[in-house]
Amino acid sequence: MSKNTLVDVKNLSVHFPVHGGIFSKRVATVKAVDGINFSIDRKQIVGMVGESGCGKTTVGRAMINILRHVAPDVEIGGSIEYHFGDEVVDFARLSSSEVRKYRSRVQMIFQDPYASLNPRMTVAQIISEPLQLHTNMTNKEQTERVGWLLDKVGLQPEQARRYPHEFSGGQRQRVGIARALATNPDLIICDEPVSALDVSIQAQVINLMMDLQDEFDVSYLFIAHDLSVVEHISDKIAVMYLGDMAEYGNAQDVYHQPRHPYSKALLSAVPLPDPSRKNRKRIVLEGDVPTPLNKPSGCAFRTRCPIAQPACAESKPEFKEQAKDHFVACPIVE
Amino acid sequence: MPEQQEISLSILKKRWLKFKTLKRGYYSFVLLVILYILSWFLPLLVNNRALVLSYEDEMYFPIISGYYAGSEFGQDVPGETIYRELQATWESENSENWVIMPIYPYSPFEDITVAGNKMYDPPSNTHWLGTDNTGRDVFARLCYAFNISISFALVLTILNYIIGVIIGGSMGYFGGRFDLFFQRIIEIWSSLPMLFVIIIISSIIRPSFFLLIFIYTIVNWIGMTYLMRAEFYREKSKDYVAAALSMGQTNFKVMFKHILPNAMVPIITFFPFAIVGGISALVSLDYLGFGMPPPTPSWGQMLDVGLQNITKAWMVFAPISALFSTLIMVVFIGEAVREAFDPKVYSRLR
Repeated sequence: MSKNTLVDVKNLSVHFPVHGGIFSKRVATVKAVDGINFSIDRKQIVGMVGESGCGKTTVGRAMINILRHVAPDVEIGGSIEYHFGDEVVDFARLSSSEVRKYRSRVQMIFQDPYASLNPRMTVAQIISEPLQLHTNMTNKEQTERVGWLLDKVGLQPEQARRYPHEFSGGQRQRVGIARALATNPDLIICDEPVSALDVSIQAQVINLMMDLQDEFDVSYLFIAHDLSVVEHISDKIAVMYLGDMAEYGNAQDVYHQPRHPYSKALLSAVPLPDPSRKNRKRIVLEGDVPTPLNKPSGCAFRTRCPIAQPACAESKPEFKEQAKDHFVACPIVE
Repeated sequence: MPEQQEISLSILKKRWLKFKTLKRGYYSFVLLVILYILSWFLPLLVNNRALVLSYEDEMYFPIISGYYAGSEFGQDVPGETIYRELQATWESENSENWVIMPIYPYSPFEDITVAGNKMYDPPSNTHWLGTDNTGRDVFARLCYAFNISISFALVLTILNYIIGVIIGGSMGYFGGRFDLFFQRIIEIWSSLPMLFVIIIISSIIRPSFFLLIFIYTIVNWIGMTYLMRAEFYREKSKDYVAAALSMGQTNFKVMFKHILPNAMVPIITFFPFAIVGGISALVSLDYLGFGMPPPTPSWGQMLDVGLQNITKAWMVFAPISALFSTLIMVVFIGEAVREAFDPKVYSRLR
């Protein structure tokens, strides 16, 4: 762990109990996240990719400590250690009231720009809400800051008095970005921030986010299911499969020399506008993703893995540093 | 950029503007509001005590200071001065003294014990809607009962809404055991036969305005909890709530600053109908004789007396038409509110 580390996620697991029967007995557990390790340095962008339902969003929500809001009985194991200056804070252990004073340091940008802005509040009210909570700014200073932020995200300060429904999807997402940046956070968790947008708008928003990252010296955890987007923006890439981390390493390494069979399959599915590579081999995975209610024994990927061996069913593969800064959870490819 | 675009209207403001274009509901609303505000000044408008009185160069304000014996102004009556007669006497005598009476100089409590009042007096210039079985002026009672009915319905509805929003909202927002616990309590509570409970309680204790409101609130808060629970349950999973929480907003603020404004539709659209329910509840209790204590003017009691004397048409028609027109105006308002909240512009029930 270097001195520059902002957050260190160790052995994080998020389990949702499932109740059934007359007496609400616990009948099963959804292992949404099942022991993952990674870390984010300051001013670093970590991309996180995986199929739908692999636990990407759950990781993001666990890291900002809002899972208990929707599921009060969620079980969170492991640790999410944030290093704010000299303070080390474990978000996995804090209750929602204890975590409140650190809220300004970690913010979130949501996937759906139509649902993430309160339709009854003006843009100014939406962006100034974190300022009211975490700063002692006067109303005038808040208005100035809101105008300045709107300018930074490419909107006009005069638009502050409008309501979200008067904006397009891309503009709304810019408002969401401005809200996340309002308190100068250390980390912004971007939960598929561009998936709901048109492709042309996606590029604008991603470039804006990269510019702002430089300017605000903020780290991103960039959750997406589009590997080409993630490769464009990230310093590091984490590949997730069914609650486990398959591969984690520098973006160039993971993107150009993927080791885990799942990463290879995922990458071969990325459409490339490059005719010279049109003959590349397309790996098509068989079958469906197993349910996280009843995960396969051993390696979760073995049911669809092209190179699976009988030993894969026996024990969970170790998440091992196979090359420098390149972690892979597959002993076969080592 | 054109100046017009800079001003954005909130959704509620837009709905209010649409409500204003729905004439029937809007005018009913304006009329009812004006009448209700006026009804708070009824003691100045409909009363048997003089507003101002000048007797031997001294000013008296019986409407504020209250009781003056007749002998004080040289009137030969037992008990309180009869200001109407005083006015007539002094006018016919061309005396220096004068009296200014309210517009309608009869009180709802003044019965045959006051000289000049008769039982079953048919409508005339003096008694616009006649008098009832104890000689009380029907019009005066009608006006005062309007104030009581609307106040009762308003206080009742607002109290129910406050309790319903807090409990229902918490059920939906917090969910889990809290939700389960209150759902069972509500199921048990709502299965009690409430009219009988109220009748039993009011036959033991003499009910008053606030006791009746209290009893009805205990019964009626349940209605709003269902709606609020559903609204909060739906809204809490939306991302703007997660956003508010992730920036460190407290549960209380999230519930009432973020979710409640998005859950206003059932509150506002049900409001007029809850008012109708409140008015009818009081009328039916009064009609059965378990409502407000007897001298209080109330439409239910007037209806009861009217039906006992069905040949005296004014005693039946007065409360019925007052009740009918009030309720239909409130229903018009409710209809217009529903239409103002309808996102489809052209769906009309007119």
